[in-house]
Amino acid sequence: MVSAQSAEVGGPTRRRPPLPVKLVIAGGFGVGKTTTVGSISEISPLTTEADMTSAAAGIDDASQVPGKRTTTVAMDFGCITIDESLKLYLFGTPGQDRFGFMWDDLAIGAIGALVIVDSRRLDDCYPAVDYFERLGLPFVVAVNRFDGAVAHDLPSIRWALAVDDAVPLITFDARDKLSVRDALLVVLDRALAKARAAQTKR
Amino acid sequence: MTSDKTPTERTAGALVRPFLSGPSDGAGGADGARGSRGADDRADAPVPDGALRPFLLTAGRVAGQDSIAIETQVVTTDSGRTAVDQLGFERRDIVSLCGNPLSVAEIAAQLSLHLGVVRVLVGDLSADGHLSVYLPNADASTDVDTLLRVIRGLRAIG
Repeated sequence: MVSAQSAEVGGPTRRRPPLPVKLVIAGGFGVGKTTTVGSISEISPLTTEADMTSAAAGIDDASQVPGKRTTTVAMDFGCITIDESLKLYLFGTPGQDRFGFMWDDLAIGAIGALVIVDSRRLDDCYPAVDYFERLGLPFVVAVNRFDGAVAHDLPSIRWALAVDDAVPLITFDARDKLSVRDALLVVLDRALAKARAAQTKR
Repeated sequence: MTSDKTPTERTAGALVRPFLSGPSDGAGGADGARGSRGADDRADAPVPDGALRPFLLTAGRVAGQDSIAIETQVVTTDSGRTAVDQLGFERRDIVSLCGNPLSVAEIAAQLSLHLGVVRVLVGDLSADGHLSVYLPNADASTDVDTLLRVIRGLRAIG
């Protein structure tokens, strides 16, 4: 089973699948993650359930918590076919931060993350910002313009979130495909800068 | 079911059962748990972690293939297409579904199965030669050329 990258395991097939790459869409409950995924995904967002006993093996030790046997969480995702051999997956994190245990599953191997913020409820995104900072994953904070309005100006939001000046802070409209595309491009830009820096170091 | 038990068993049962029954179990939790233990041939073993339904699908295992990431692409092989009628339930569903490449996450969503269950079943079916599993390129997300392709692809949307 465990074999080289993109290696074929199991026998001959008709068609070679695309190389999957993924991007995480994070943020608090109800900030517009599913809307964001739905705006740009070529399939309508799918929901799957993950079970803590498998998703959190080694991360959360359920055996230490009597009665805490299993937690089921829902995760929304969509995809964009980049070309015939490359497919971009967008995974929305489960909104409630008590489901943070599942994030490793989503974030490890990801290109980067878009952290969506509702400017009226800034503290909802703290867990996401903390998590990606610690992981060292390139991320962008995107304020969702609900009804075209942002409750605070961007410098105030940056101050409140205490994110590094290098972390892009943008506004976008989760319902607008092109706006979502541009937000994703900012994430890609960050990831590219990081990849190029790593390349020159080698 | 509880009336013929000793007081100790009743206490233990009363304490343990409600916690073991997952939200999907409802009132049938107690009977379901007992049945699962019997089928396991290990009546003395503690009831394992996890909801019962996913367990039945994976013959009691939770240790899925950790290497199978959620975006891992899965395709049915010729052997899988031939064997599809001999496979049962979820295994047949997965093999039928993956005529075209699908990610593990898409399989889970389309068949309404837990991700963990899909990981275990995909691992089994791959070991049996019914599925090809293409492990994602771990370096793709930090590869400059791949990132440039994604950027070009996104810019083309409009």
